[in-house]
Parts: sequence; structure tokens; C-alpha cells
Amino acid sequence: MTELLAFIASHRAEMATRLGEHVVLVAASTAIAAAIGIPLGVLAARRPSWSRPIVGLANLAQTIPSLALFGFLIPLPLVGGIGTRTALVALTVYAVLPILRSTITGLQGVPAAIVECAVAMGLTPAQVLRQVEWPLALPSIVSGLRVAVVIGVGTATIASAIGAGGLGDYIFRGLAMVDATVILAGALPAALLALAADAALAAAGQLADPRRRARRHVLVLAVVAALVAATLWAGRSSGGKADLVIGSKNFTEQVVLGELLAQVIERAGITVERRLNLGGTAIAHEALLSGGIDVYAEYTGTSLTAIFKEPPSADSEAVFATVRDRYAAVGVTVMPRLGFNNTFAILVRAGDARRLGMKTVSDLAGRLRLKPEATPQATPQATPQVTARATPQATPQATSAWRAGFGYEFLERPDGLKGLSAAYGLSFAKAPRVMDLNLIYRALAAGEIDVTAGDATSGLIEALGLTVLEDDRRYFPVYDAAPVARASVMRHYPAAAAAIRSLAGRVSAAEMRQMNFLVDGEKQDPASVVRAFLDRP
Amino acid sequence: MAEPAVQFADVSASRGGRVVLQRVSLVVPQGQTMALVGRSGSGKTTLLRLVNRLLEPDGGEVLVDGQSTRTWDPIALRRRIGYVIQDAGLFPHLTVADNIAIVPRLLEWSADRVVARIDEMLTLVSLDPQVFRTRWPDELSGGQRQRAGLARALAAEPPLLLMDEPFGALDPITKAELHAEFQRVQRLLLAPQNETLPSGRGGGGRRSVILVTHDMAEACALADQIAVLHEGEVIACDTPARVMASNDHRVTSLFGELRLKPEATQQATPRGRE
Repeated sequence: MTELLAFIASHRAEMATRLGEHVVLVAASTAIAAAIGIPLGVLAARRPSWSRPIVGLANLAQTIPSLALFGFLIPLPLVGGIGTRTALVALTVYAVLPILRSTITGLQGVPAAIVECAVAMGLTPAQVLRQVEWPLALPSIVSGLRVAVVIGVGTATIASAIGAGGLGDYIFRGLAMVDATVILAGALPAALLALAADAALAAAGQLADPRRRARRHVLVLAVVAALVAATLWAGRSSGGKADLVIGSKNFTEQVVLGELLAQVIERAGITVERRLNLGGTAIAHEALLSGGIDVYAEYTGTSLTAIFKEPPSADSEAVFATVRDRYAAVGVTVMPRLGFNNTFAILVRAGDARRLGMKTVSDLAGRLRLKPEATPQATPQATPQVTARATPQATPQATSAWRAGFGYEFLERPDGLKGLSAAYGLSFAKAPRVMDLNLIYRALAAGEIDVTAGDATSGLIEALGLTVLEDDRRYFPVYDAAPVARASVMRHYPAAAAAIRSLAGRVSAAEMRQMNFLVDGEKQDPASVVRAFLDRP
Repeated sequence: MAEPAVQFADVSASRGGRVVLQRVSLVVPQGQTMALVGRSGSGKTTLLRLVNRLLEPDGGEVLVDGQSTRTWDPIALRRRIGYVIQDAGLFPHLTVADNIAIVPRLLEWSADRVVARIDEMLTLVSLDPQVFRTRWPDELSGGQRQRAGLARALAAEPPLLLMDEPFGALDPITKAELHAEFQRVQRLLLAPQNETLPSGRGGGGRRSVILVTHDMAEACALADQIAVLHEGEVIACDTPARVMASNDHRVTSLFGELRLKPEATQQATPRGRE
């Protein structure tokens, strides 16, 4: 808790900006959804035959998983792309249904005799709606708005994955750093925001009820409005227009590299905006093409296979040349490589590797072909001493076979599990579990899985007592880290281009792993880790 | 000869594909109270709703002040016809005062006139304005709601009043009170002068009323004429005394035990009480 307070205190300016972005996202999307949902609801309540298709469509939209919806929207013109606009579209889609539903329910709940009386008294259809049906349906509509806002505050955290900012930035950053404090720094304000927004709308609903015009609700509303205004003002004052936008994918090393690019460019006197923690490769790439970001660090092997759909290769120079040409065709410049190769690493617990004498992936493949006596020791977070002591009588009390867990990308990519299995003749008794890349190292250390594929430069490898099995058949292609930038932007900011070039060959694998460890293991701020790296003699 | 307040000329109507009224012809003279009686489904409510165009006839014409409802602007027509339903139909989100003020405000009366009218109407139906002005409908008893509903229906001085089972939900004692109240209001509150009527009839007479009820005693107590509906047709239309004297079993069956209790008939004759 103290850590959380300290984190909030040290990040308060940024936090106000994120909170402001979050409030704007939710408020704007709910307002748009109300502008769509309420008239549609009135229409559907008026014509029951229209009600079914309208509600059906809204229902359908609601069933699309949020991350998938963001994914669908990114390549679309007008509504798509990366950043606030796309997030607004997605959040609006989700907010329409509860508002639409509650409008229909509210209007249909008005007693028919009351409506008939209003008509019989000579009210025009518009007057019946405004003077009788609307006030009687309002409590239901307000409850729909409350549901929409609470859903919106939650869903808006995911908007961070497409660079819309908001409190989700902390949640994704915290997940990447495996740091509960940072996750809480996003999750807790989001939860409080949801409660506050719900209370504010409840108070507004009470105000709208002519029966209970209690003054204290005015006070609650005024306080909430003041808070919203304050966060908006704070968000506005700290958010100037930057020259360049730096992106990164959503894991620690990417955040560090994003910070590295940002800081060298800032040191050249050019302002940058950080859009770190974007979703995966596809989102970062789309963001670069659409101009949502101007620069991010990519890996040559990833570009080759995941973006350009070429077969993987272990030839560093050939891969770089191919990727450079393919990127040039879409207006992207590949900057000089940073100096390290972040290939995949097959990881097991250090204790298992020692006990079973495994050093290479071939050793592992051999073990997998054997039967239960070679099962891994699933001791959660076993210290080396305990493991050593347990080794002699490592009886196969655990009869379960080797359990593998992999990230989504590794399972899908051509240079991932499929190729690896073929190259080494690997086969697992049970289907590998699909896990979030950020959680995979801890799952391995905790004994939930026994083998996984991680990043060769992950700082968690040492921090959690894991071991890299050597890729003795040279299966994994090269993944040389290299910044990719929009060519037009690099022409416009030659100083920024020069600053990025100055990083050529300056980051070794050991240095990258060290920086990753400082962030993941030592919980240091990526910005200060990068600052120390750049400032070292 | 003044135009009748309402005239049904050969009117047929159906609801949901079912014929409800068959070639009904009926005249409600100015200043008279006409009770429509009959069993459930006999078409009496449908007949009432044709008057203010809540429903449209399939055939024939409904004339209000000599003019077909088809040619009336429905909004203007309805604003000069008071409407009271069972349990009053007060708007739950408005105070008693605001309920009464609805039509006057639609007619853009001045604020002072509206306020004066609210108190006048509340006093007329024996509700103390000081107490009841700011009450909400759900804070009223059944009888008070019905009084407020009557006040609302009469607020804009409509020359015609439609009442659909207005006292149906009340206990016998309250119902008797309200019957007396209604008769008193009818005496006190004369229909307004209205030069715009096509008939050019002089105002100041009694208000015309169409009352739907299944309660024969109520019809006898309040109406000048009773029209008996049976399966969509008017089978009798006459003064209460003559209708009571009918030998048509479809009519007599409606009277039931009422005929066996002469004192009820006696008491139910409105003029007999004055």
C-alpha cells in the first residue's frame, strides 16, 4: 500500500493525464452511445417490429471480445487506426446496448392507460413522449447509463492496448513488469472512477426525479463535476503536441527500448510522446503504417515472418536486407540494428536442468521421448539449495508428463512451436497451455508449467532461477533489434534520425538483459534505467 | 334546434379483426348525460373511444357538434373533450395541481389563470387546495384520485365529458359520495359560452356527458338517457325509467336484482333526490 502511494505520488502528473484520458474516453463514448441508443430505443419501443433487429444487432456487437473488436477496427478507414478515435468507436459500441435496452424497457414500462389518457387529453405525440413517457422512463434510462458507464470504465482500460492512453497504461505496464504495484496504480483508480461515476449518475437520476429533489444530490453532483473538470484540466495542461510519437509493444524490453528511443531523441532537442505498451506486433505495425506512431523498435526476424510472411532465416545480414527492402516499399525506414539478437529461448527451471543434466533443446527432446521417470520437479520457486537436496531422491511421485505453456504468438508463428517441434522432434503428451507472455516466466517458476519459450533477453530468466536450453540445431532465426521509423518523419526530423542512428550496435544482449532485470527484478522505473544506461561513462 | 353534442351515424368498428360495433346509430343531445351500459365486450368502451378519435370507425360517421370526427383536427378535438377513466389515470410524476393544469397549459392559458383554475377546480370537487395542490397521485385515496381526475378533465372547460367506468374501482360508500359530487358539479359548473360552435348554440347550459358503466344503478342515478349495447348493437335507448320497464330479456338481465328492489330504483332517479 505504501508502495502504491509512493508510486502515485511520484507519478501524479502523469496519473492525472491518464485519469483525464480515461474520463474523456468514457464520458465521450457514453454520450455518443446515449445519442444513438436513446433515439433507437424510442423508435424500437414505438415499433415493436423494429425492436427485435435493433436489439439483436446491439446484442451481437456486445458479444465481440473487446480486444478482438479493437483488432478489427485498426485497419478500417475513418473509424479505425490507432489511438483515441478507435477506442471511442469500440467503447461506444459497447455502451449502446445497455442504454438501448433500458430505454425500451423504460418506455414499455409506462402503463398503457397513462399513455392513453395523455393522448385523450390532446397531447401531441411529441408532447406525450416529452411530458409523460420520458419522465416515467427516465429512472430506467438512468440505470442503463449507469451500467454503460461502469462497463465503459472497465473496457477503457483495454483501450491502452491500441494507444488510447487511460488508466489501462498502468495495468498493461504493470503486467509487462510483473509489478502488482503498477497494476494497482491503474486498477484502483479505475475502480474508484467506476464507483464515482455510478454514484454521480445515481445522484443525477435522483435529481431528475421530481419527487426527491434533495439538495445533497446537487452537492454530490457538484463535487463530481469539479473532480472531472480538474482532471480534464490537469490532462490538458500536461499534454502538449509532441514532434514525434514513440511506440512499443507490450513487454518490458519493448518499453525499455521505447524509452531508449524517446530519450535519445529528446536529448537531440525534439519533443516526443510515448505510446508505449501497444498490443502485439500487428498493432504496433498498423500503428506505424497509419501514423499513430512514428518509431518503434522491431526485431528483424519478427518483421520477416510475422509482418511480411516470409520463411524464417538464421542469416542476420540477409534478413536485414530483405526486411529493409520490404519496409521501404511501405514508406518505413529500418534504422541500424541496436546490437543484440532477441531470439526465442526454450526455458526450464534451473533445478530441473541440473537434476536431469539437460543443457540443450536436444536433451529436452530426448527427455520427452522417455516416460515418467524423467518428469520435472514441480517445486514452486525452489531455491537452489532445496532443489539440490531434493535431487538425489527425485522419485517420480509426480506422474504427470512435461507440461508446456506458450504465448499466443509462439503458437501461431511459423518460426514458433510448429517449426521447433519439427526441427527437434519434440512432442508433448498434453497440448501446450496458451498463456500471456508476461505471466509465463512466473508460471514456469511456480511449477504450473515445466517448459516454455521466452525471450533470450528476458531479465526474469536469472531473477526467477530459470535456465536457457541451448538451441543446438540453430533452429531459431535471428531477431536483431532495429528501430523502424516512418520514412517521411525521418526526413522531416534529421536530428531525430541521427539520434536513432547513434544507437547502432550500442546495446549488447547482456546489457539488454541487465536493463530488463532492473525493471522486472528490481522494480526500477524504465525511464531511470534507460537514463542510467545512456549516462554511463 | 341545436346540433346534438355527439351523433353516431351508422357506425361500425372492429378491433383486432373482430367486429365490435355494427351499424350503431345514437344521438347524445346537448346538455344531456348518456349512459352506455352493457356486458363486457358489448362495445360500449369502443363506442366511447370513437368520440375523441382514440379509435376510428370502419364505416359510418361520428359527429361531434355536427362535424365528423374525420374532419376534426384530433388534437383540437381532444382538448375540448374531458376524459376520465377508472382509477382516474393521473400522471404519477406530476402533482395534483400539475395534473389539473395540463390541458390549460397546452392551451397556453396565462400562469395566473392556470393557478386560479387549479384552486377553483380543487374546491369544486371538494378537495382543499391548501392540502391537495402539492400532493402526489399515489398519496391520494381512491375517491380523492377520482375527484382529482374529474377536476383535471373539467379544468379546460370542455363542453363534452367522456367517462369510462370512472367509479368502477371504488367501494360502495365512496361511490355513492362521488355520484352526489358528480351531480353537484354538473349543476354548479355549466358548460362554457362557445361562439365557435358550428351550431351557434348558446352556452351556459349543462355539460354533455357520455358515461360508460356496467353498473345499472349508477346509470340510473346519473344519466338522462341510457343506451343498452348488446353484441355491438344498441338494443335500447331511452330514459332510465323506460329502459327499466323494458321487457327485452337482454335488457332485463342487466338489471338483475335491481328490479327486485324498488327502493333502489326510486333512489336512483336523479330528479327524485332534488
